[in-house]
Amino acid sequence: MSDINKQRRQFLKLATAISVAVASLSPMQVIAGKITEDNKMDATEHAVFTKMLTTSLPTEGSPLIPPASLPVIPTIEGALLAGMPPHIRQGLNQGIHYFNQGPLKKYGKSFNELPDEQATAFVDEWTSSEKAPHRALAMGLKKLTVLAYWAIPDTWTPLGYVGPVSEKWKLKYRGVTPEPKA
Amino acid sequence: MMSNKNQLNVKTSEDMTATELNIEADVVIIGSGAGGGISAYELAKAGKKVIILEAGPYVPSEKFTEMMAVSMATMYEGEGAQSNTDGDITVLQGRCVGGSTVVNAALCFRTPDYYLKKWGKEFGLTNLTPEVMLPYFEKVEKNLGITEVKPHETSSGAETIKKGLKALDIPLGLARRNIRDCAMTGFCFAGCKTDRKQSMMVTYLPWACNHGAEIYADTRVTKISAENGTAKGVNAEVIDPKTGVTKTRLSVKAPIVVLAAGPTGSPLLLQQSGLANSSGQVGKNFACHPSLSVTAIYEKKLNDFHGATHSLFDDRHTLPENGGWIQLNAVQDPVEASFMAEPGTGKPYVRYMQNYPNSTRLITLIHDKNVGEVTMENGYKEIRYQVDDEDFEAMKKGLKENARILFASGAKYLYLPTYDTQRINSVDEIDSVIDALENESARYRYTSFHPQGTCRMGTDKSKTVVNPYGETHDIKNLYVVDASLLPTSIGYNPSETVYALASYIADQINEANPG
Repeated sequence: MSDINKQRRQFLKLATAISVAVASLSPMQVIAGKITEDNKMDATEHAVFTKMLTTSLPTEGSPLIPPASLPVIPTIEGALLAGMPPHIRQGLNQGIHYFNQGPLKKYGKSFNELPDEQATAFVDEWTSSEKAPHRALAMGLKKLTVLAYWAIPDTWTPLGYVGPVSEKWKLKYRGVTPEPKA
Repeated sequence: MMSNKNQLNVKTSEDMTATELNIEADVVIIGSGAGGGISAYELAKAGKKVIILEAGPYVPSEKFTEMMAVSMATMYEGEGAQSNTDGDITVLQGRCVGGSTVVNAALCFRTPDYYLKKWGKEFGLTNLTPEVMLPYFEKVEKNLGITEVKPHETSSGAETIKKGLKALDIPLGLARRNIRDCAMTGFCFAGCKTDRKQSMMVTYLPWACNHGAEIYADTRVTKISAENGTAKGVNAEVIDPKTGVTKTRLSVKAPIVVLAAGPTGSPLLLQQSGLANSSGQVGKNFACHPSLSVTAIYEKKLNDFHGATHSLFDDRHTLPENGGWIQLNAVQDPVEASFMAEPGTGKPYVRYMQNYPNSTRLITLIHDKNVGEVTMENGYKEIRYQVDDEDFEAMKKGLKENARILFASGAKYLYLPTYDTQRINSVDEIDSVIDALENESARYRYTSFHPQGTCRMGTDKSKTVVNPYGETHDIKNLYVVDASLLPTSIGYNPSETVYALASYIADQINEANPG
């Protein structure tokens, strides 16, 4: 296999790892998960998610809850680290570092150092890129960040969404259906 | 232990104290979903001692949270993160006592005669004629309370979309669901907390337990055993879900093994066991009904938060010769809505989510070709599947129709579920925007609820895994009863097909193994 093909394959694997990881987020994992030295966020990952959070959810002037007032980053960390298979976790880590270096050529800064306007432009450029791994990385990290935000029930109030209803509506349990008579 | 009649006789890892447990039974069933649950009841009722092994946990309905993110982590395969190798199609399946029947939308369709006839012609399944299958559909419909939605069983989004169908003179398809006395919470995918959805957990499984069946949750089968071409039982491990530690090594000796681990689990077990694969087809022919959800934004608030998860459809184009797609409405919580569209990063996204109360969506689901494969690589499951080019063209036609319906219902503008921003502002833009879409990986936000086809059924031993009666060609008394069996994609939710086939195969097992 040529070096270019090897790099492409590795790149695809990293992007896939992000995409696969995205759906694993949930509050339950935060409750159940254990963050260890091997799987906790490193400084770059923390900085990338923090930057992605402010880039994705600029709530000033809107009724939405400011993300800085919510435990979004711990939710991402707990969800990612608690439920992710080691090979996906490793790929995710590499993918985040790659993404962080993405703007260097054009903007002269890593993603976590970009001003908000440029960070927004960079994410939009990659989500519409002709390169599938760029699309997957940008979309995956953005999706992961906003999912963590919306998974926190406090964020639903400004939308008028009330969440679970069975207890609020005092619904009765039907229980097991009787076995059919022969 | 079962203390009351009609309750689940389920043991979990917490109940296990022995490090080894050897059980003898007449039948061991792997999986407790649609196929496993129905087989368990029909075989136990016939007097057989039945053991059911379920890899997922037992979550009683009173513990359902009505929060999709939490349910995914506890009751879905791969904690809701199961996807194809490219990571752009989420493949959702239940993994709990009751399987996918606990977390599906409860939407039921009989297998169209078109496919029963096609399977007869192309796969030799001349035993599964519409006439033979009719009593099986009728039986499961009665047992599971499958009926058409009632006039009040709807949602604000569905009522809005209905106006679009009417304006375009499109016949309204009314959903048929396995639900009794629907409470209209909209939480089918998170599990029906008050037991209105007639999942296996409140129907066939407790009925099986009435006849002595026993369920072991948290129990992962590692190997199916066979001697001289005949099934002999299984080896399994009971795993503490909190620690991942194996508490008990379990062996079940049984002359009949029924495999119902689902279209991604069943082929992997056969591959791991080195069984039933003389055709080389185990794990191949994977299809999954990829779907895309178009989000419509309206002037007024719809608050489409609760109500029947699905209540209407348009299936005029569902058969392949008519196009190969179906449209379905769906209610959605903010967590799901948060990633269903791409309005642009930052402020446009904030505006999109502010408009969530003003939104609804219509799903386009396609009949797809069986081009995928499920394998185990380096200890991890791989689902190699990409949407076929022809199927993608069907999807585009379906999306155009979808967009027309939503605009006719009063939508101001639409978002396509793409990675980059794809907004349609008027009817005039529909064709140009959708015609420009290309079939590429990491471009679309696909969801699949319907994996199928990986142990397909037929008469030709070189091209199929299972014979027309559900038994593997290679191993006597080893049966498959889940959606793995389907020889082709069917374009409709396959749950009722699985209910009916499992019921039919249980009759075949009882007939071949009387007493």
